Order: sequence, then structure tokens, then C-alpha cells
Amino acid sequence: MSAPATAKAGGMAVLWLLLFVLWLILNSSLAVPILATGAIVSFAIAWIFARRSPVWQLSVTPRTAWHFLAYTGRFFIELVKANLNMLRYVYAPRIDIHPGIVKVHVRLKTPVGRLALANSIALTPGSLVMDLRDDAMFIHWLNVETTDPERATDLMVRPFERHLEAVFG
Amino acid sequence: MQLVGSIFILLGAFFLFSAGLGLLRMPDTFTRIQAGTKASTLGNILVLVGIGFYHPDWALKLLVVGYFVLMTNPLSSHALSRAAHARHVPMAPPTMVDALRDEDEARAREQASR
Repeated sequence: MSAPATAKAGGMAVLWLLLFVLWLILNSSLAVPILATGAIVSFAIAWIFARRSPVWQLSVTPRTAWHFLAYTGRFFIELVKANLNMLRYVYAPRIDIHPGIVKVHVRLKTPVGRLALANSIALTPGSLVMDLRDDAMFIHWLNVETTDPERATDLMVRPFERHLEAVFG
Repeated sequence: MQLVGSIFILLGAFFLFSAGLGLLRMPDTFTRIQAGTKASTLGNILVLVGIGFYHPDWALKLLVVGYFVLMTNPLSSHALSRAAHARHVPMAPPTMVDALRDEDEARAREQASR
């Protein structure tokens, strides 16, 4: 897989920043030796990973940053909705659900994008990813509204995929 | 400050309790996993936010813990449900469709006919 050079550099910058910030948080100190060690070690790790694994080859532009923020916001709204939904089922005098496993289509190609999508679906109202085969994702749905793959895709996958597609491709 | 923190922790505890109740009340393995995953994720995050109000200097570390929970909770539920399905754990009676089983059976038939 030969990604464009910008994608490699962008992915590396993101990974470097991520690791460095994590290091700072864990140390909670701004002493120069600690800063220097963290910068060097996280740079080395980011360099190796961005070169050797296609996972970290992302291109970073203001547009992808905006989509990532939009995705995060959307995600938290869905998380709260999922919980309220679950409370309704749990405290109902009689649990009235029609669960089932439905198939949906995934357009995302990159592993990180798919991971993010699968994790998001697991935390949104009444759905849980069971398996991923080629471009089909199998989702356990607490209350099946439709068995048609296209409709199910529109309902569960689209809201996230729109933003994730712009970020991860 | 402490009061706000306490309210968040109480709210988180309520969600965690609901997760436990969901585990008991839901009819089969898969729906139980669903109940456990969702409510416990939000419950955990709310408790972490509450602790953040008590100890503002821990805020960033709590953020890291929160992200860790967000990343790993769905993963574990996915692994559990996938294993349960592969072992043919029965699904509750109101279950309507099982596209994954259909796909498995279609594949098995295809291989048998070859």
C-alpha cells in the first residue's frame, strides 16, 4: 500500500501529538528532561508506526478535523440517547422487545475507520456489532425496525459513516 | 463544587445500577450484553466526571481513563457476543431475524455442494 507522502506525515503528526500529550498527562510535570524524553520517545514510536503500518496513514486538514469534532459530538448525543433508551427497557414492567441480527453495509475501508464505526455502533441505541465480513457488518439490534440491509444501513451506519469517511476514508 | 461532583457520581451510580438490573431482567445473552455495555459506559464516565469535580488536578488523567473505557467497553462486548453466537447460544423467543446465522448456513451449504 503506497499512501501519498502527506498522508504519512499527517498520520505521524497525529500519532506523535497523541503520544506526547498522553506522556505529559501521565507525568503531570513540565520539567525539561521529562519533556525532552517524551518528545524523543514519542517521535521515534510515531515515526516507526507511521512508516510501517497503514493504520496511521491519515491526511490531516481543517476539513477532517471539523468532521472529527462533528463525529465526537454526534457520538456523545447518541450515547446519552442509547442510555435513556436502555433505561426505558430496563424499568418497563414487561420487557417488550424484538431483538434480531441484521446485516448492514460498510463503505469505510481503513481499519481505524472501521474500528471507530464498530465501537460507535456498539454504544448507540440498541445495537451491537457481532461480526464483520468483507463489506457486511452484522448487528444485533434490540428492537428490529427493518430487516432490509439498505434501510438498516441508513438508520444505524450512515450518521457516523458520513463523518468518519471524511476523516479516515 | 463537591455537591456537583456528588450529583454526577450519584447519577453515574444510578446508570451502573440500571446496567446491573438490565443484566438480570433481559431475556437472553445478547440483550444482556447490550444492557451491560451501554449503561455501564455512561455510568463509568459520569462517575469519572464526578471524581473530576472532587479532584480538579486529576482531570486529565481521568480523561485518559474515560477514553480507555470508551475504547475497550464496546470491544469486550463485541468479543463476548461473537463468541456466544459462534457457540450457538440460544436467542430469546421474540427474536425476529438472524442474518448472521443465515449467512453461516448459506456458506455451509455452498461448501457441502462443492
